[in-house]
Amino acid sequence: MGTDEVIRLERVWKVFGEQAEDAIAAIQARGLSKAEVLGEFGCVVGIANCSFSVKKGEIFCVMGLSGSGKSTMVRHINRLIEPSAGSITVLGQDVLALSPDQLRKMRATNLGMVFQHMALLPHRTVRDNVAFPLQVRGEPKSRRWEVSQRCLEMVDLQGYEDRFPRELSGGMQQRVGLARALASDPDVLLMDEPFSALDPLIRRQLQDQFMALSAELGKTTVFITHDLDEAIRIGTRIAIMKDGRIVQIGTPEEIVTRPADDYVRDFVDGISKLKLVFAHSIMVPISQYRAKHWENLDASIRVSHATDLDHLIDVSTATEQPIVITADDGTDVGVIDKPTLLKGIQGGKA
Amino acid sequence: MSDMGMQGGPVAPSTAVGDFAGQNGAYYSAAFKRIQDTTGFAWSWNTMAALFGPIWGAARGVWGFFWMFLVLELFALVQLGRGLWGELGSQQLAKLDRALANIAKREAQAAELQAAGDAAGAEAKLKIAENLKKVAARAQEQADLAAAEATSILLIGLALLLLVKLLEGFYANIAYEAHYLKWRAKPQSQQAGIRTSSIVFGVVMVLAIVPLTLLRFTVTNPDQVLARLTGGLFGDTIPVTHFPVEKEYFSALSKRGDAGFDWAADNFSDAFDGITAGIRWFLDGLEILLLQTPWPVVMLVIVVAASRLAGLRVAIFTAASLAYLAFMGLWELSMITVALIGTGAILCILIGVPFGIWFGKSRRAYAIAEPVLDFMQTMPAFVYLIPIIAFFGTGKPPGVLATLIFAMPPVVRLTALGMRGVPETTKEAAIAFGCSPWQLLFNVELPLALPSIMTGINQTILMSLSMVVIASLIGADGLGALILESLQYAAKGQGLLGGLAILLCAMVIDRIAQGIYRKRVGGA
Repeated sequence: MGTDEVIRLERVWKVFGEQAEDAIAAIQARGLSKAEVLGEFGCVVGIANCSFSVKKGEIFCVMGLSGSGKSTMVRHINRLIEPSAGSITVLGQDVLALSPDQLRKMRATNLGMVFQHMALLPHRTVRDNVAFPLQVRGEPKSRRWEVSQRCLEMVDLQGYEDRFPRELSGGMQQRVGLARALASDPDVLLMDEPFSALDPLIRRQLQDQFMALSAELGKTTVFITHDLDEAIRIGTRIAIMKDGRIVQIGTPEEIVTRPADDYVRDFVDGISKLKLVFAHSIMVPISQYRAKHWENLDASIRVSHATDLDHLIDVSTATEQPIVITADDGTDVGVIDKPTLLKGIQGGKA
Repeated sequence: MSDMGMQGGPVAPSTAVGDFAGQNGAYYSAAFKRIQDTTGFAWSWNTMAALFGPIWGAARGVWGFFWMFLVLELFALVQLGRGLWGELGSQQLAKLDRALANIAKREAQAAELQAAGDAAGAEAKLKIAENLKKVAARAQEQADLAAAEATSILLIGLALLLLVKLLEGFYANIAYEAHYLKWRAKPQSQQAGIRTSSIVFGVVMVLAIVPLTLLRFTVTNPDQVLARLTGGLFGDTIPVTHFPVEKEYFSALSKRGDAGFDWAADNFSDAFDGITAGIRWFLDGLEILLLQTPWPVVMLVIVVAASRLAGLRVAIFTAASLAYLAFMGLWELSMITVALIGTGAILCILIGVPFGIWFGKSRRAYAIAEPVLDFMQTMPAFVYLIPIIAFFGTGKPPGVLATLIFAMPPVVRLTALGMRGVPETTKEAAIAFGCSPWQLLFNVELPLALPSIMTGINQTILMSLSMVVIASLIGADGLGALILESLQYAAKGQGLLGGLAILLCAMVIDRIAQGIYRKRVGGA
């Protein structure tokens, strides 16, 4: 995974309404709330002063409740919505400076998008739906068919090429949507609550399928969801939004172990931490441990610092000894005994 | 609390019945409680409402009550007036007078004829006079009867008035309670309590409506009676039965209109001729195709096309229809008609669909176009036939134009409707994949709007057929002319057969069009 930035948003604002600029100035000067802006300027704040960047190959989840501005934000990346202020860079290009033609070209070649309500074309077969981005780009039919065949295979829908969307179940339709987004072989995938409208079982299957695909293709992805479980399952990093603002950005572990405020903490409370908290964040440093305890740790089981709580529990049931945590180079860096582990599960240490 | 009224305060205004009613708050609180406690009809008597009737309704702002009982009381009062001072049977007496005058005239004519030696003619005139005498006698009888009815009409009027008062008394609280509920939902826009301005308005309405109406229905010559009552202040007669304007404004304006049309016809004749030529070119092409081509070929092509496009059942029906047209000797007329409406329908679609697309995309354009479309659809065809003749003369092209005006709105409207019905999410998805506006139109919007557009085209075809007879009025031949002719000579059989031919043409075209559409949707 490279570290180069693929997407960068800087101080992006979107205020819907005629007095947008005055409203932004007033918010910055006086820190008005969403309701106050609506009352004073008749403007609706979509997103307020949002900055983040997404690295190549990353799955960047944006999590928030309905109305928090997450769908508005993702539409800024391919400029389906024009920002009121701020700058947006995708693949090194200033998106806001593109001419309509250049913008269309970028959308058709670099950006794929999946929608909550699939938005498939009902009058076209599955194959022609998947090939749509290529058709827009003006590719010949043989190439369109070849690519759509390959993409349908990726989402396990071979054999359904000549069906119409209405003949498919919701989960299958969303897989067609995913195949369509992949058809143009984009650098960036934008996914706007793709699995929210599906029932839980299908949602989980699709998440798994998406993660497998993502691991294989390594596409940079911005993934919108209102479900923190989903964000934690698939996100490399997560941005949590509230009322148009980004409250916290971090890895799933950071979000769960160090919530930035009460709002995030409320969300995190219901999440199982066993697979998100790792040995290094609950262990007692080796020197500190040695200062208090005198027993010999040579016979103890040694595990990597990146072992999650779930695995640590398995290990600790098999031994009476404290567990020694090793760094990447194999040196002992910390110790986890039973009380430390239990505290860690409870979240006290974190 | 009941006499506090609405004292403005920072808290939400009170919704208590007492505060709503203002005066007599306690009474209304009790009355509304009774109504709200009862299921079904609640008997609740309101003396003030019964006494003052509509004025009570006005004072309280219950305008439905006001208007309803104003009309009912007026009706009862008219009966009373007729009974008290009405000149009953005056119409019959007038009829008697006319009959007597007529009899005298006939008898004089008879005497003249007798003197001239035409005995038969005199006999006839006398016979007429005899019949008229019978009429006169009957009128006399009825006039006497009507005069005798005065007392019973008076009694009926009294009974009606009493009944209306009872209704008012018993209905008032129910109406007022309903008004109270409306006031609770929207306190700003509904009146609470008694308002002087409302009373004044109510009284003015009563004064403006009741006396004149009463006068009109109880005396035979209201214009003169009113002049007498006002002491001749406004002349010998005051015209309340007829509006005192003759045709002066109308004829001045219509002359203006004539001049305007003449001017346009003179100055834009080239443009009008161009349009006529264009339509004629189209029409001739279709007519050559349908009429000059040997009839077996045309029939074969139509039947095969029907079976291919719409299936076997439609093909059989089409063959039967064509056989009817051919055996009735209506083949040529039918083909002329089909060419006429075909031209109309094709032009409607060519012009209407682009406009529909535009109106579907631009809300403002649609807002401007909507009244024009309404006008095109509701204006009687005869109204625009006149300027069409003035500009384009008579014959088939003007007939096609009239068809265009009448039959275009549905395809425009339904195209616009279909365009607006395309889900925003689908359009957004297409744009997200880099669609240009044209690609969006042809790949997404038009295909998704197609069902609606097809319905519009269907409507347009059927409406053009219904214009065939009207178009024949300005000289377009075909089956329409056949029917017009049978109308002129009251040829019932010819009219029926011609009408059936038009019906069959319409059904064949409609079934084929629907068949194409159904096949597309079913298979697509």
